[in-house]
Parts: sequence; C-alpha cells; structure tokens
Amino acid sequence: MRTKIVASLAVALIIVASLLSLKGGPVRVRITTTTSLYATGLLDYLGDQFRKDHPNVELDFIAVGSGEALRRAKQGDACMVFVHAPSLERRYMEEGVITDGRIFAYNYFIIAGPPSDPAGVREAESPVDAFERIYEAGERGEASFASRGDNSGTHVKELSVWRAAGLDPKGRPWYLETGSGMGATLLVANEKGAYVLSDIGTFLKYSKDGKLPDLVILLEGGDELLNIYSVYLVPSCTGEEAKYARAFADFVVRDAQDLIARYGVSKYGQPLFYPAMGKLDWLRKRWQALAGG
Amino acid sequence: MREVLEIVLRSIMVSGTATLLASAWSIALAYLLVRSPRASRPLIPLLEGMVGVPTVLIGLLLYLLLSRQGPLGMLRLLYSPQAIVVGQAVLITPLITSVAYRVLTHSWNMYGELALSLGAAEGQAAKIVIMESLPGVAAAVVMGFSRALGELGVALMVGGNIRGYTRVMTTAIALEVSKGEFELAVSLGAILLFILAMISLTLRFLGRLRE
Repeated sequence: MRTKIVASLAVALIIVASLLSLKGGPVRVRITTTTSLYATGLLDYLGDQFRKDHPNVELDFIAVGSGEALRRAKQGDACMVFVHAPSLERRYMEEGVITDGRIFAYNYFIIAGPPSDPAGVREAESPVDAFERIYEAGERGEASFASRGDNSGTHVKELSVWRAAGLDPKGRPWYLETGSGMGATLLVANEKGAYVLSDIGTFLKYSKDGKLPDLVILLEGGDELLNIYSVYLVPSCTGEEAKYARAFADFVVRDAQDLIARYGVSKYGQPLFYPAMGKLDWLRKRWQALAGG
Repeated sequence: MREVLEIVLRSIMVSGTATLLASAWSIALAYLLVRSPRASRPLIPLLEGMVGVPTVLIGLLLYLLLSRQGPLGMLRLLYSPQAIVVGQAVLITPLITSVAYRVLTHSWNMYGELALSLGAAEGQAAKIVIMESLPGVAAAVVMGFSRALGELGVALMVGGNIRGYTRVMTTAIALEVSKGEFELAVSLGAILLFILAMISLTLRFLGRLRE
C-alpha cells in the first residue's frame, strides 16, 4: 500500500510543479519558426541581442517547417511565427490565425545539381524552363530531383514552380521525396547526383563545410526565385507574452535590419539574408504575386 | 562545452524524473495485476504490445492533449520540461509494468502465497514479494530510464527543443544534424551511448546480485 501513497504523492508533486511554473519567472514567448532561420543561427543571434534590453523575457524558438509553424499557431501554441511561404501565409491570414504580417528579410532560392548538368539547367532562361528540362531528362532516365516533400516553405515554392510549368512529377521514379529538412535533402541530392531547389543560406553553409562536393549552383537570382521571410503575430495570444512578441517583431523589422545584413558575412563571405528595409514596396508586390492573388 | 554539459544534465534530470514517476505507478500497477489474474489476462498482452509504441505517436497525442486548444491546454504545460517528463513517463509505463509484472509474478508464486498461508496480512505479503524481487524490479526501472533517455519523438513534439530550456540530448543531436554540424552531433551521440552503456552495465550487475 506504500506504493500507492508514493504514486499519489508523485502525481501531486507534478501538479504542484506545473502550477509553480505558471507563477513568476521570466515571460516566455512561444515562437514557431521555419528551420532555415533557426538552423543558420540567425534567430538565436537576434534573440540574444533583443534580450540585452529585455532580460526578463525568454524567447522560446520552436524550429519546425513553415507548414507546421503555422499549424501550431492555429492550435494556439505560438505567439508569433517566422515563415517564408506566401501562399500558406495568405491562407492562414484569411482564417484569422495570424495578423500583422511584416516582411523583414529576403534572399534567393537556387537550383543546384551535378556539375555535369545532364538536363542543361545552366542554359535555362527561367526556373520554369529549368524544371521542364529536369522533367524531360528525368523521363529519359538521365536526371533525378530531390524534393523536400514536407510542406515547408521551400517545398511549397518548389511545387509552385512545377505547377507553373504545368508538370506533375509526383510518383515519377526519378522524383525523390525525402520528407526531411533542407540539409538532409541537400545531402541526398549530393549522393544521388540529383537536382534540388534550396534556399541559398543552407546551401552556402553546407557547401562551405565541404559536405556537398558533387553539387554546384546552376541557376540563381531573378524575381521568380525570391525567398521572402515574414514575421506574424498570433491574435489568440494575449497579455504580457503578446506584448513582448510585438516588441520582438518591431525589433526585427526595424532595429535589427543592420544585424541581419551583416549576419554570416565573416563566415561565409556573403550575407545569408538581406534586410527588407528600403525595399518594402518591391517586396510586397513580389509577395502578392507569390501568394497567388 | 558548458551548454553540452547543461544539456546532458537536463536530459538526466528530465528522464530521471519521468522514470521515478512512471516507476511509482507502474510497480504498483504490476503488483495489482499479479494479485488479480482476471485483470491481468487481457491487460498484460496489451501492455506488452505497447512497449514498442512509436515515440512520435505518444508525442503527437500528448501535443494534442496539452495544446492550448486541447483538453488540458489550461495547464500551460506545452513546451516545458514538465511536459517531456509526463510524456516520457507515459511512454515507459508499459515497459516497466510488463517487466515488473513478470518479476513480481515469479516471487509471488515463490513467497507471496506462502506468506499468506502462514497468516501474513496482505500488506506484509506485498512487502515481502516486492523486497524479494527488488533486483528484477530495479532492472525494469533502469530499462525504462534508458528508453526515456534515448527517445526523441516526445521531447521534440511537446518540448519543442528550446535552447536552454527543453533541449535534451536527442533533440540536440537532431538539431545539430539539421545544421550540418555532424561532428558535434557525433560527440553528443557518444555521450548518450556512454550513459546508456553504463546503464546496461548496471543492469547486468543487478542481475548478478540476484543470483
């Protein structure tokens, strides 16, 4: 019978512990974010800068794909989100899950592939043209393509390019859906000699570390491959947490713009992200086009 | 380096608390099942079947439960070490219960019935049975601890892998891999393996004590 007492004591203990965790202590702001912003270290860096002025705030970054980040916000489990999937963002905005969207940074997607380039992506005039070439080479059995397949911002982008080309690669033997993060997908592409769509930041990081010896950038730049990062607030989140979420969003879109521009330059020789300040009109227009409306 | 140490300590604290919690109710449950064959006949196969339940499944179910929109949302447990503790405790309950059940059945047959027939009270008999099977029960607890320490799904889903708060060894390894920092991931993995090996050695040592 002593065991019963121990068991009920333990249950009581955990209830007390969880109640205690509610009171006092720092304000915790729950932030779901796309993996690229977190894995490159940018968000932790910005968070540490922000906390210099707000030592009583803890920023809890939960790094998942853009799709999951928004889904968790819908469940009420995030106070703000950092994402890069305009079409998804629009959908959740219409549902009222997220508000106060602001663009704070951008960079470019790239198409990488084997240096031999069997599909001729180097000669492609546009991403759509490049994907058409990859499709044809794939059907000929000369090329393959590694896809994230995880509803992340990059995956959403990739699907929109296929759609624009009027092609559906799903289920083709040369179309490899990895279902994992950008880094893992780049490694698969590197091993299999496959083409891949990646954000420039993750590609640079892996490439500089010597992990992608058989992968080169074949197509980059151009408005079609623009990758726009936005920050949103979640209206279901209220109180102190919401107050600091807004303060952090303000910090990111205003005060931190210089930090974003400089981030990673010393390590990778070029910035991983470009600040949005000064280019907002152009970015908003591009965002509208990407969001499909 | 300090961060790594912190992560290792946090992992042990979280999984240790989960194991203590799960042990408390699992051993009690195992004993009750030994004393009640009618309940154990359907329950034990069920528990044994759940020993290998995917950790992400427990993680997802718990996430839906603890989410602000979930039935237990008002507890505000999500994204906290306590949430991982609860999840891991649930995860390892079938394992500890089913292993403890076997051990306790054995010593019940050896001593329990004898004690009762010699006029011992139910409580005294329980005490004798549990004391006699202590090494085996301890082994069940240690197995539970190592499963809790090595699982990823629960910690990732309900903990959120928040730096300095809910980041444990397995989620740190997953993150370092996604960042391309394989070297750091491997050294974290080595620490985890070392701890698991120590646990396994303890297990063998306890097994030998029993003989």
